[in-house]
Amino acid sequence: MPENIQYLVMWLIPIAPLAASVVTATLGPRGLREKSHLPCWFGLAVATVCAYVLLFSIVPTGFSEHGTTPVVASGYSWINAGGIDVRVDLRADGMAAIMLSMVTAVSLLVAVFAAGYMHGDPGYARFFAAFSLFVFSMCMLVLAPSFLQLFVFWEGVGLCSYLLIGFWFKKPSAAAAAKKAFVVNRIGDFGFLIGIFLIWTTFHSLDFSTVLGNTNQLAQLAAEQPGRITLICLLLLLGAMGKSAQFPLHVWLPDAMEGPTPVSALIHAATMVTAGVYLVARCTPLFIYSPTAQVVVSCIGAVTALIAALIALTQFDLKRVLAYSTVSQLGFMFMALGAGAAGAEAATHATTAAMFHLYTHAFFKALLFLAAGSVMHAMGDVIDIRRFSGLRRALPITHWTFLCGAAALAGVPLLSGFWSKDEIFAVVYHAAHGDHYGRVFCIVFVVAAFTALLTAFYTFRAYFLTFWGEERFPEEAGHHPHEAPPVMAGPLRLLALCAVVIGGLVGLTGWFGTFLHHSAGLAEAHEHGLSPGLMSLSVTLVAIGIGLAWWMYVRSPELPGRVAVALGPLYHASLNKLYFDEFFWTLLVAPLRAVAWLASWFDRGIIDSIVDGIAHIPRLLSNVPMWFHGGRLPAYALIMWAGLLACLLFAMGMLPYTIN
Amino acid sequence: MSSLLLSLLFVPLAAALLLLVGRSFLSQGAARRFALAASVVTLLLSLSLGNEFRHLPSGGPRLSPVEPRHAISYHWFNLNHAASDTNSAAANADPLNFSFVFGVDGISLTLIVLTALLTVSGVLISWEAIRDRASGFYACLLLLEAALMGVFMAFDLVLFYVFFEFTLVPLFFMIGIWGGPERRYAAIKFFLYTFAGSVVTLLGLVSLVLAASSAGIATPTSLPALARWAVEHPLKPEWQIALFLAISVGFMVKVPVFPLHTWLPLAHVEAPTAGSVMLAGVLLKLGTFGLLRICLPLFPHACQTVGVPLMAILAVAGIIYGSLCALAQRDIKKLVAYSSVAHLGFCVLGLFALNSAGISGGVLQMINHGLSTGALFLLVGMVYDRYHTRQLDDLGGLAARLPLIAAIFVFITMSSIGLPGLNGFVGEYLSLVGMFRREPIYAVLGTAGVVLGAWYMLTMLQHAFFGQLHEPLHGHGEPPIRDLTFREAVAVVPIGALCLWIGVTPGPLLEIIRPDVDAVVAVYDEYLPPNERVAAKRGRMQDAVGREHFAPAPSGTAFIPMPSPRAPKIASLPHPALELARVETPSSSASATRLSPPATER
Repeated sequence: MPENIQYLVMWLIPIAPLAASVVTATLGPRGLREKSHLPCWFGLAVATVCAYVLLFSIVPTGFSEHGTTPVVASGYSWINAGGIDVRVDLRADGMAAIMLSMVTAVSLLVAVFAAGYMHGDPGYARFFAAFSLFVFSMCMLVLAPSFLQLFVFWEGVGLCSYLLIGFWFKKPSAAAAAKKAFVVNRIGDFGFLIGIFLIWTTFHSLDFSTVLGNTNQLAQLAAEQPGRITLICLLLLLGAMGKSAQFPLHVWLPDAMEGPTPVSALIHAATMVTAGVYLVARCTPLFIYSPTAQVVVSCIGAVTALIAALIALTQFDLKRVLAYSTVSQLGFMFMALGAGAAGAEAATHATTAAMFHLYTHAFFKALLFLAAGSVMHAMGDVIDIRRFSGLRRALPITHWTFLCGAAALAGVPLLSGFWSKDEIFAVVYHAAHGDHYGRVFCIVFVVAAFTALLTAFYTFRAYFLTFWGEERFPEEAGHHPHEAPPVMAGPLRLLALCAVVIGGLVGLTGWFGTFLHHSAGLAEAHEHGLSPGLMSLSVTLVAIGIGLAWWMYVRSPELPGRVAVALGPLYHASLNKLYFDEFFWTLLVAPLRAVAWLASWFDRGIIDSIVDGIAHIPRLLSNVPMWFHGGRLPAYALIMWAGLLACLLFAMGMLPYTIN
Repeated sequence: MSSLLLSLLFVPLAAALLLLVGRSFLSQGAARRFALAASVVTLLLSLSLGNEFRHLPSGGPRLSPVEPRHAISYHWFNLNHAASDTNSAAANADPLNFSFVFGVDGISLTLIVLTALLTVSGVLISWEAIRDRASGFYACLLLLEAALMGVFMAFDLVLFYVFFEFTLVPLFFMIGIWGGPERRYAAIKFFLYTFAGSVVTLLGLVSLVLAASSAGIATPTSLPALARWAVEHPLKPEWQIALFLAISVGFMVKVPVFPLHTWLPLAHVEAPTAGSVMLAGVLLKLGTFGLLRICLPLFPHACQTVGVPLMAILAVAGIIYGSLCALAQRDIKKLVAYSSVAHLGFCVLGLFALNSAGISGGVLQMINHGLSTGALFLLVGMVYDRYHTRQLDDLGGLAARLPLIAAIFVFITMSSIGLPGLNGFVGEYLSLVGMFRREPIYAVLGTAGVVLGAWYMLTMLQHAFFGQLHEPLHGHGEPPIRDLTFREAVAVVPIGALCLWIGVTPGPLLEIIRPDVDAVVAVYDEYLPPNERVAAKRGRMQDAVGREHFAPAPSGTAFIPMPSPRAPKIASLPHPALELARVETPSSSASATRLSPPATER
């Protein structure tokens, strides 16, 4: 492919959604109105086509025997001052191309769905403008050639997320959730930014090619200053934890469900939240040199996966169940990312597993959210699963597609989630037999297995409660709930197909792994075969989970209540999200508010009073001469006489220290 | 060029005088139209100055760390100190020569354009709000503009100080006459506080000039001459520290640096909108501008030993403390005022990084803060004009009523909290990265302010613009609440566009200030450890080669001895970072040796 065409194709991927966003924002509210989705559809379609051209015919040209030469489309010099030279360029390698193929395809399908879902909303144009802007930022993030550009668009997707969570800004809860998402993410960004500073002072560059591409230099640095590498990794991890909602910064994601459901599907399930995983995967060459950082990554993933799954067990808001399952699945990806502590080859496998799960998860989680959106659409925006049930006859398409997604998420054999989750089990199992922190990874493995069981259980709990049992509708839904219109059903069907087959298609054929191995910085690794033992373990877990859910929610529906009473405090802890929000409120927010109030009082009461006090000193001093000028005649007379006396004495030479 | 420079000073001045003369018979409408015309003309003049500036020869060899790229000087008077001091050896020396030097360099150019732009917005935003004695108000505004222009153009200490002080007068009247309920107290406090600080600065400046003249400098008030003298014959360390402390007091009050900031929230709250815009947008920059112009080039030793810890600690304290105070405010204007304390903390942090990244970031932060905070005050003023309140408790959900104003508010808020892609980030990033290179801990603490900044600004947005619509009761006689008018759009949209432009392509702006920033930084190269010195110089030289800013200096005119003989030896140390730097810049050592005059020739 000629170079200028390559250049054009690569730049079209981000530019098309940007142009769509600008057109929608300027023309939308006045001109396009009900047709505001058209620029977005068109822009995303162009981006998707270009992304697949990139995936199949541009990036593979750079593949060589070992690794790859990334394709770079140059842009312009952004900041150039004091030895810092940051450019805005596009750089694509295997990892970026895979990511992009997922991001653009899923966002196109969600955009099509959203046109039906958001129909008639007063902010229709605003929605699609922000939506396109998000896709632009996400593409630029994935195509970033340097840490700083990645950070820029990392914040950019954060902004779009803020705008879209707070889309229905009249709801106070939406406005609060938007702020919470942004601020919690900023805590992560704090670490990311300092990590960038540290990378810059260490490597004198922020380019991936310079920092990550030079293995010898990294090895030398790791030998000389292992602490510094670990510090950089941990700081980057902090950033990733914010964006990918890892414990303890996961609190923003469930609240983000205040946004419109397509937004939850795209941003808060499929794409943006995986940016943290992408960052850590990107930095694998750095993490290889710090087993400590890797084990921290795994542990954080394990803790996140477990607590999110525990919370998801008892939630009654369908979208929140899905949100916690997202947090939990992101935890799985982090578990896998950290499991490369055994060596370079293990790291390649670990990264592949994490990226694979990211890829399949994007499809089935987007599907689940859109199906939940379809339920909401039919139920008159009611999402509490206690208020409806037995929807499988009224909403057949939604039911079947949701089932596909749920089965894929639970890890039912041969579906997408099964393959990718199995890979994760394999790498963690492998790490548990490694030299570095083997015992820790043993625990991680046990947690992963237990969480997989919980995943199957809570997913099917939500499914059974929604679609089985007696048919009940809330009054908001009217008498006859309407199934999704074609514009919504089409994307659901396509995503359901992906959720079913895509894991087997790209995973089983080894295509995914081969492609990813060509990412810059990943070591060459041999395909490892499927392990029947682990597979049978995961099949057993899934069967137990689904069976338990069926028993509790279909066979004997009175059982859950009894269990809840029996478990008492544990049940309430789970229902109240393990009290994380309250914990942060009392430990962080309230004290900071108090300190802020104190600072404000200190400012008025102490600092400013001191200033005013100093300003009073001249007035106090002026009291002394004022006493002489008080208008009291005897005083004047006294002074006059005293002065006269002094003059006399002086003239007579009787005062000491006279002249000469 | 010269006439352009002077007209920037005299057009607003003449317009202000005309308005003052005509204040008895000019109507409100005539006064505001005249003021608008004058400020627009000034803006156009400043833009054409920027255009001319690009065609200036791009800097030959630098003789001094502070050097205008174009200057006009007017002779004032001679003082032959030989007459009073017949015995001294200086009897045959040249008489002391006092003259006015107006000039422009990259840093002052950007601030001049900023001033002109914000003045136009200031006139537009006062259009309806100022009804009483409008002519006098606009006269004060234009007088303030003229004084600010004067400060930025001044390249000698007398002019600098006179204009620096004169800015107080029009603003004092603006706050005191057209301000809020507590305007008298606020105006007097503002005046006395900053004036008290400036007097200490004056003391320092006078001692500096005396020291220079006794050392035989023929033009002891000219900044370029002083700076060159200070580089060639550095002052004694204790003298430097004393002068640095004295001179920076006035600037620290003006910035304002924590804990000298308490005049600021009060002045902002009481000032009319245009006054707040000018105060936050430009006037505060006089402090940082003064530090950059006078303290950094003249007292390198003091800046390093005392300046860095003192200023960085105060700046970090200001960032965190200002953010916390902002978090507790219920008055939007006060909140924005406290946010200024935090933002200028970033600026000071950048300046006292004393390297090109930091100082560029600091200068950029001055401009960015001027734009974003100026725009925020404009927007707060728009809300206040409509509802006559700025209390968060009285407002809520305004986005439903004022969608356009809300959209711009969100945009400017994002710029203010340093969202990448908008202007705030570039300045903050460069400042912090510069400081991280000098003292990582201050940069880390400063970065914490980024989190707090997002928190208080977004909390304000959440309360004022989102949630249920909640507005104060609206009187019957008043006009209905309207969204952004055309006049307001003209006032604020250009600022927003600039925010975006600087955020996306900061290159041109950095290019304009680069030679002047590098000239200041060159003073500090001598204080670097040898290996970093080479690297720093090489980095700068590389830039220069690429852009042809520094012409090869003829021997004897370079003001800094270049350690070229040592360069090859040090560059071959097996330090990974240096190795890397060398790999990246294969021609660097060659260009460095070509450009540097050997130390012995000096």
